[in-house]
Amino acid sequence: MILNAPFLLFALVAVWATFMVVTRAVAIHALLYLVVALLALACIFDVLGAPFAAILEVIVYAGAIMVLFVFVVMMLNLGRPDRLRENTWITPRTWVGPGILAALLLAALADALAMAPPDGGPVVVIDTRQVGLALYGPYVLMVELASFLLLAGLVSAFRIGRHIRGEDAP
Amino acid sequence: MIAALVATLPDMPMPVLVLAAGILVLLLAIACRGSRPSGAAGGTDDRTDGGTVAGAIISAATIALAFIGLWSPASPPSGGMARLFAADAWFAYGTGLILLSSGGILAMSWRRMAGERADEAHLLLLLGTLGAVVAAGSANAVAFFVGLETLSLSLLGLIAYRPRVPDAAEAAMKYLVLSGTSSAILLFGLALAYAETGDLRFTAPPAANPAEPALAVAATILVLTGLFFKLSAAPFHLWLADVLDGAPTPVSAFVAVVSKIALFVALARYFAMTDLTGTSLPAQDLAVVAVLSMVGGNLLAFGQTNLKRLLAGSSIAHVGYLLVALLSAGPFGAGSAAFYLAAYAAATLGAFAALGAGPDRPDLAAWRGMFHRRPALALALSVMLLSLAGIPPAVGFFAKAYIVAAGVSAHRMLLLAALIVSSIIGLCYYLNVARIMMAPAPDTAPAMAARSGGTTVLLAALALATLLIGLFPGPLVQRTTALFLPAVPATETAARARGPFENMRW
Repeated sequence: MILNAPFLLFALVAVWATFMVVTRAVAIHALLYLVVALLALACIFDVLGAPFAAILEVIVYAGAIMVLFVFVVMMLNLGRPDRLRENTWITPRTWVGPGILAALLLAALADALAMAPPDGGPVVVIDTRQVGLALYGPYVLMVELASFLLLAGLVSAFRIGRHIRGEDAP
Repeated sequence: MIAALVATLPDMPMPVLVLAAGILVLLLAIACRGSRPSGAAGGTDDRTDGGTVAGAIISAATIALAFIGLWSPASPPSGGMARLFAADAWFAYGTGLILLSSGGILAMSWRRMAGERADEAHLLLLLGTLGAVVAAGSANAVAFFVGLETLSLSLLGLIAYRPRVPDAAEAAMKYLVLSGTSSAILLFGLALAYAETGDLRFTAPPAANPAEPALAVAATILVLTGLFFKLSAAPFHLWLADVLDGAPTPVSAFVAVVSKIALFVALARYFAMTDLTGTSLPAQDLAVVAVLSMVGGNLLAFGQTNLKRLLAGSSIAHVGYLLVALLSAGPFGAGSAAFYLAAYAAATLGAFAALGAGPDRPDLAAWRGMFHRRPALALALSVMLLSLAGIPPAVGFFAKAYIVAAGVSAHRMLLLAALIVSSIIGLCYYLNVARIMMAPAPDTAPAMAARSGGTTVLLAALALATLLIGLFPGPLVQRTTALFLPAVPATETAARARGPFENMRW
């Protein structure tokens, strides 16, 4: 049922890209593959009938979190006179692998979009409305508790980060 | 959304509501104080200390109110809602233990946490307690995961509480990485369970097609692996000693007591509907981990010269004993697990409180001759260690005997053999500590921690409780056994609010 050609392709791309993430020695190279892996995951969500989750995956992970990663990588290299070495990190050659994988994803996505959805197929599309109704209906308490989860993360990060800046008591 | 929220609030167990409200009040108090302009350096210290005390009072009041809230009548679950929490007797018992332990940890750190102002510590302590209570009471995988992560993230801040201490940063880093890994494994298991059954109930998934149970078993094993990581059962225990050693002493107690109670309560709930008496794969997995934890934990503690690491090994071993109780389904099994949980919590909390009141460094050598220098402190630590070792006047003896009785009645001979062998190993190192404390005192006294009224009171109360319950275990036994007696389902509501253990095969 869901084991059709696009799904298999997305899954293979995701697995291969993730493998490349963990085997790259340079952080930036790993990040490039990580973006591809997240995009592949988003495509899998879409094929499974969860376009909302797919879009969130792209916006939150491939978008926001990746920017954060790139920021951290850049900040960690601050003040080192190794611009030359940084230049060698992003050569056209490093783009080839992720580029090919991303092109594969795009082709498969276009193929999947072009195909007419099968009538009464096993895939039930879960749209934004259903997600919202679940979140603010039976799971509204979880949304509230998730805010406490974020608060815990915030306070912990505040506590740890305050002293990294070298401040003592406020 | 507000209407939906108000309508579902009664579904939340009372302690969760009280703790959440208390966190908001504390946050507000900290914010109000923080916005005031700070005065001269000398003047601020007093004022901020006063603010810390106010925070401690708010935290203590919250924990006390949440404890009282346990006796509030359970409201019937509203129809049609996904059932998120199971507010049954097992939850009430576990939450009671969690809240009492958190209160004890607050008493240890109400003013100073490892020499630092304890403002954020109070907030993180309440948040961690909230997470523990949610995780212990969840009947839904989402609720469990949110609670667990709240607990883990607050612990992260608490473990790294001491600034510029490399050990603390190292411990926090280890905890962060391993906690993240184990959460990922746990989530994988929950996702597989959802794929198999199509619902998010937090229970070992029954196979949709009994002829092919592979997916359901894989899901159970993955969830178990995640839980074992957090419970630090062997062979997933390597982080515990480093984390306990690097964290401030009250936080070590929090990791070793509160988070383990919450996870064990959740683990028991996860298997409430499963028959663990047979040779199913999850039961075998549990049995192997129990043996490895008992033997491995005690061997780890054997020969340790650092008391915190010694307690880490002892904590791993006690998780193994608890698993034996869980595996001994029978008339005594569940009750003995509940009883042992209380005994473990009291003794471990007390041991850490004694460490907090003792020398600055947790080296065993610093405790040499403590019976001559600080007899009361040495006596208190000895009582706690006797209880952990299972020697008669303390409650640990009865708790262990209870588990052995449960194991015998469930014919768990191999597990019992491992329990007895590892208990003997345990005796050696617990008694070694007492021997060192009785040795003649050296000339140079080690630097002692500042005396704290809270720790002294806590230590005295715990020592008294350990001895009294050890001498008169009857009331607690009745209470723990009553937890699992099938309640008469008088109404439909009562039938729905049944405890998890009633479907266990006796």
